[in-house]
Amino acid sequence: MHELSIAENIIEISEAQARAQNSRQIRTIKLRLGQFTTIVGEALQFSFEIARRGTLAAEAVLEIENVPMVLRCDECGDAGENLREVCLICPRCGAPLHIVSGEEMQVEYIEID
Amino acid sequence: MDRVALQANVLQANQEKAAENRSLFDGEGILAVNLMSAPGAGKTTLLESTIRALQGRYRLGVIEGDLQTELDSERIRTLGVPACQITTGTVCHLDARMLSRALADFPLPGLEILFIENVGNLICPAAYFLGEHLRVVICGVSEGAEKPKKYPVMFHKADVILLNKIDLAEACGVDLNDLRKNVRDVNPKAPVFELSCRTGQGMAAWLDWLGSAVGGRADAKRAAVSA
Repeated sequence: MHELSIAENIIEISEAQARAQNSRQIRTIKLRLGQFTTIVGEALQFSFEIARRGTLAAEAVLEIENVPMVLRCDECGDAGENLREVCLICPRCGAPLHIVSGEEMQVEYIEID
Repeated sequence: MDRVALQANVLQANQEKAAENRSLFDGEGILAVNLMSAPGAGKTTLLESTIRALQGRYRLGVIEGDLQTELDSERIRTLGVPACQITTGTVCHLDARMLSRALADFPLPGLEILFIENVGNLICPAAYFLGEHLRVVICGVSEGAEKPKKYPVMFHKADVILLNKIDLAEACGVDLNDLRKNVRDVNPKAPVFELSCRTGQGMAAWLDWLGSAVGGRADAKRAAVSA
């Protein structure tokens, strides 16, 4: 249940940028959220609605782009995506897999007035 | 309406504070060890056994994280080791800022290992880097063989994994081969030690490994000083 503190971080980062641009209002916050994080998008949306009150993001929409977990084998080059049950061992050659994406938690951009 | 590109890590404030904590540890030549597990996996008991074994050899300190009570830090202080308690209230993890506040009043100079016992939780602490050198994840075998698959992020980020309460595996009907395979699936690289901090079984291998990690730090510090 750390979605609330994550939502507060997202708003802090966005507000700091909005202020630097002399903006009075944030319209949109675009977030890239990896599948292999401990954050649940739906819970984050709910927390965001609570955390945005009284901030420059009070009317803002949080747009979440889910980034799938992509794995690659450095040994044999085999690649896989979006496994339901995480296994970081290459099914082809047995070497450890490298996480190419899926760990992102990034504010991509904000839209401001 | 203007669009402003940021590409900012949501946890950047925590990462910055963690980097400050790390330089503090490095400046003092301290190995910082973050202990994480589910509630009841045996973190504090394991810490007590580890402290008893290493006390004569290394100067140790402990920072305890819990939602409520000072019970754990009191347990550690009875061993004669400096310990401080961070009570998080309702927060389910330690973050770098909480640790930084605790470090400000902690007697760090002269320590060789600082153990940070995180809040018992296999989810949130995985996201918050504290500035530690080692992330130790402890799994009580009685929790069931599927634990690593259910909490893959935590197990994946571990530098070392301890399977505790190994003496209870049979009584709990846990297939250790299943547990070993599930650990490997989510973390193919980390060393894994099977032990029981109550009976002492398997503790020696873990203690040796930790001892060499401290040795590695000391070598790195000497190299930094002479460079």
